[in-house]
Amino acid sequence: MNLQDLKLRLRALIAPRRVEHELDEELSLHIELDTQKHIDRGLSPADARARALARFGSPALAAEECRDARGTAFIDNTIRDILYAFRTFRRAPLAALTIVGTVALGLGLVAVVFTFYSAMFLRVDAVRNPEELVEVRRPTSPGAGSWVTFVRRDYDALLRDTTTLAGAVAMLPDVTTRVDGRAVQGTLVTGNFFDVLGVGASLGRTLMADDDARHAGRPVMVLSYRAWSRVFGGDRDAVGRSVLVNGAAFEVIGVMPPDFRGLTVMPSDFWAPLDLIDQFRPALAGKEDEVRIDIIGRLKPGMSPAAAMAELSAWPAGNPEMKAQSNRPKTIVLRPRQGTASPDVLDGFRWFSPIFFAFGLILLIACANVANLLLARGVARQREIGVRLTLGASRGRIVRQLLTESLILALAAAVCGFGVLLFTLEAATRAAVLTAQPAIAELIGLAAFAIDWRVALFLLGGAVASTIFFGLAPALQATRLEPVRTMRGEITRDARPGRARHALIAVQVTASALLLICAAVFLRSALVAADQAPGLRTSDTLWLEMNNESTRAAMLQAVAGDPAVAAMAASWPHGVGGNLAEARGAVGVPVEYKFVSPEYFNLFDIALVRGRLFTPGERNPSAGVVVVSEREARRLWPDADALGQVVEFDGYQRRPRVGLNAPAVSPELPFRAFTVVGVVREARIGRGIYEQVDAGVYLPISPEAAGTSLALRGTGDPDLVREQLIERLTKVDPAMGSITTMRTIAGVAVYMLQVAFWITAILGALALTLTMTGLFSVLSYIVAQQAKEIGVRMALGATTRDIARLVLSQSSRPVGAGLLLGGLLAGSGATVLLATPAAAGISDMVRIRDPLAYGVSLLCILVACALAAAIPALRAARIDPIATLKQD
Amino acid sequence: MAKSTVPDILPGTLDLLILRTLQTEALHGWAISERIQQISQDVLQINQGSLYPALHRLEHQGWVEAEWAVSELGRRAKYYRLTVSGRRQLAVEAEEWGRMAAAIGRVMKLA
Repeated sequence: MNLQDLKLRLRALIAPRRVEHELDEELSLHIELDTQKHIDRGLSPADARARALARFGSPALAAEECRDARGTAFIDNTIRDILYAFRTFRRAPLAALTIVGTVALGLGLVAVVFTFYSAMFLRVDAVRNPEELVEVRRPTSPGAGSWVTFVRRDYDALLRDTTTLAGAVAMLPDVTTRVDGRAVQGTLVTGNFFDVLGVGASLGRTLMADDDARHAGRPVMVLSYRAWSRVFGGDRDAVGRSVLVNGAAFEVIGVMPPDFRGLTVMPSDFWAPLDLIDQFRPALAGKEDEVRIDIIGRLKPGMSPAAAMAELSAWPAGNPEMKAQSNRPKTIVLRPRQGTASPDVLDGFRWFSPIFFAFGLILLIACANVANLLLARGVARQREIGVRLTLGASRGRIVRQLLTESLILALAAAVCGFGVLLFTLEAATRAAVLTAQPAIAELIGLAAFAIDWRVALFLLGGAVASTIFFGLAPALQATRLEPVRTMRGEITRDARPGRARHALIAVQVTASALLLICAAVFLRSALVAADQAPGLRTSDTLWLEMNNESTRAAMLQAVAGDPAVAAMAASWPHGVGGNLAEARGAVGVPVEYKFVSPEYFNLFDIALVRGRLFTPGERNPSAGVVVVSEREARRLWPDADALGQVVEFDGYQRRPRVGLNAPAVSPELPFRAFTVVGVVREARIGRGIYEQVDAGVYLPISPEAAGTSLALRGTGDPDLVREQLIERLTKVDPAMGSITTMRTIAGVAVYMLQVAFWITAILGALALTLTMTGLFSVLSYIVAQQAKEIGVRMALGATTRDIARLVLSQSSRPVGAGLLLGGLLAGSGATVLLATPAAAGISDMVRIRDPLAYGVSLLCILVACALAAAIPALRAARIDPIATLKQD
Repeated sequence: MAKSTVPDILPGTLDLLILRTLQTEALHGWAISERIQQISQDVLQINQGSLYPALHRLEHQGWVEAEWAVSELGRRAKYYRLTVSGRRQLAVEAEEWGRMAAAIGRVMKLA
């Protein structure tokens, strides 16, 4: 490209009309001069002009080629195509609206999945040079995928002993608490957190190193932008005010920018000094060093993670303290940590692929519908297209023009799809809040899924991709015609897109079948899972976590005297399941033990099989008796009666799992012999990965013992009881622990299946509706097109039944093929889908090849398709042969 | 169609012919085609439909420049004139053509 070229192109762009006019003038002058020449040679003016034109060829074509030489033809044509497209829409607005609406639905739904995917895997946090941030991890063995947790001491040692990293912070995410009565979720961090991440506050200041001085931390917190808007309504004077956390006052010192999430997927609501963990979890007072933390480091600029890893791996070996922990691994692994759920984008895609697939099916069906509609319109527009072809437009030009029309519609659909996306997210959040267990629902509103430029880009890309899918084939089909015959009004055989149309219907039926079968399978599995006898009484039982020993006596008194509580028992650890210890004689196979008070078994309806339960007087491990579960009894004494056997813990107790929600204070496990006095039935809830099995060996304890939680049986609806208890007990101790109903715990597994059912059921219903309308409109269209043929047949003596059969037979083959294909795909596809990590959790709860589910869903589609076909068939049967024959 | 009845000139030589025709004076499109036909004694009839695209292409390449002026019929016409780089290009193409023609001539004589 040279300067002159640029000048000419610019001119063509800036003054297109003038350039066009000049071109016109130039070409017509040529023809006039040529005409004049022929006149001078003695031809008549008309002949002369004809000769000149014949010699010149098509002026339009020449002009077109000149425009091509200009290089602005592309833009010119595009503008012309766009204007033409809008004229077409104005002529058939209903068709345009239908197309936009259908594609918008599909695009919007896929964008919903993408929004989640993007939020979890693509959205890197807004921090300085996020690619330098790594999480420090210790694998349990070299190359293992499981990790040994760090505690604060390890972090201090890392800072003290190594210089590999430019900086490192410790953080403890997912701390749920109440700030001024609102449930919030925050992160406890070391004082250098914001410094190392390189993020400043948008209001006030961030934490500083001495806010988190060991044992002298200041009660201050930094709020997220969201929490600031929610709790303080975005009041700029919020900085400097105090909020109450577990009864203690914390000063708000700053507000972070809106796009900062604090290296977690779910944005934190606040950040507070890690040193003040006992304020958030009073139970952890004095145990600060045992809380697991994440260590995040920043690589020095230019240093590769591999080099840093190699250098850091020398650290555990050189640290005497860690060396002493003989069972601890000596290597260090650094993994990118940029605020996404996993540093591996593909890994995330594997998790999301089944969901993308299910939602993508809707887009597929929608596009198939639109393609069908366009095929039909292509036939209707044959005359228009034929005229343009005859006038010298190339086929490519018309295909481009038709594709431009499709693209404009798809782009409009992308915009509307954005609305679908917003609506679906809002509806899903509301549905989740309404249906989830109250304890979970409280936190759902906090999950913010930001709609950012990635989502917009995705919608745009999706629009272009769907244009190719729904627009290309009809455009090619519509332009494949013989101009001469078209001009005569004949519709050429080639342009009747029967095969493409049948293929599209088959695709739609297949996709609907897939979705409906999945929905039916999930529903059946959910019903089966809900029916499963839990082995633990879940209908009216609750757990109360006691995390404040100083108020235990008062709390016990309040609970015992509460009218909503029918029975009460103590348990350690909290919830279903026990703690592990090694028993003599059963080396290598740890025993799961649990301290419970005598009332525990009756409270949960755990049936006694043999022997006896604890007597009311046996409320201390020193009673020397244990009750074992049936399964544990079989495992430990396969050949003998468990009653009267002795269990002896051999002095090694595994370190309790100290996490935020694990018990911090534990009753001492006496290293002595216990006599088995009773065997009870095994207690378990849920199935698959949600299965929780209660302990195998029960030791007696009393509710007064420190660290124990309370199991309660309420009078009436447990959710109501829970609310009443929270209301009454917070008066006794405002920092009381959480109350969870057993229904919540047991319901999680079933709930997941129900969610899966509802999602697939809604998708399936949408798919079926789209397929039905598609089939309906195509058949109606065919009937309208074939009215003449039908009229002739009737005139020749065909009965109405023959006609109805003719119409129905046009749809039966693609529908049948679709059903068969859908069933087969569902069978083989479900196996594959369930093998992906996302579905691994429910794979053993779902009956993939449930014949009833398959049968019902396929029947459902069959009926729907029959309904969709019935109306056009009836209409065809009512055609008046005389009227149709008179038409031409 | 009209296109196929016009005997085509050797492919790729249209640019050369146009440039050569413009060597002495500025001409408009019709005059160029007439001149070529005249000088070649009606042997070379250039496809007029492709003359203008070629002219526009040459203009974009900067080998010719255009100017509007009044023509024989008293109408405005677009006159094309060779530019400096156009002259250079003509020299290159003319030499190329000369070599080619000579080579073909030799082959024809000997074969």
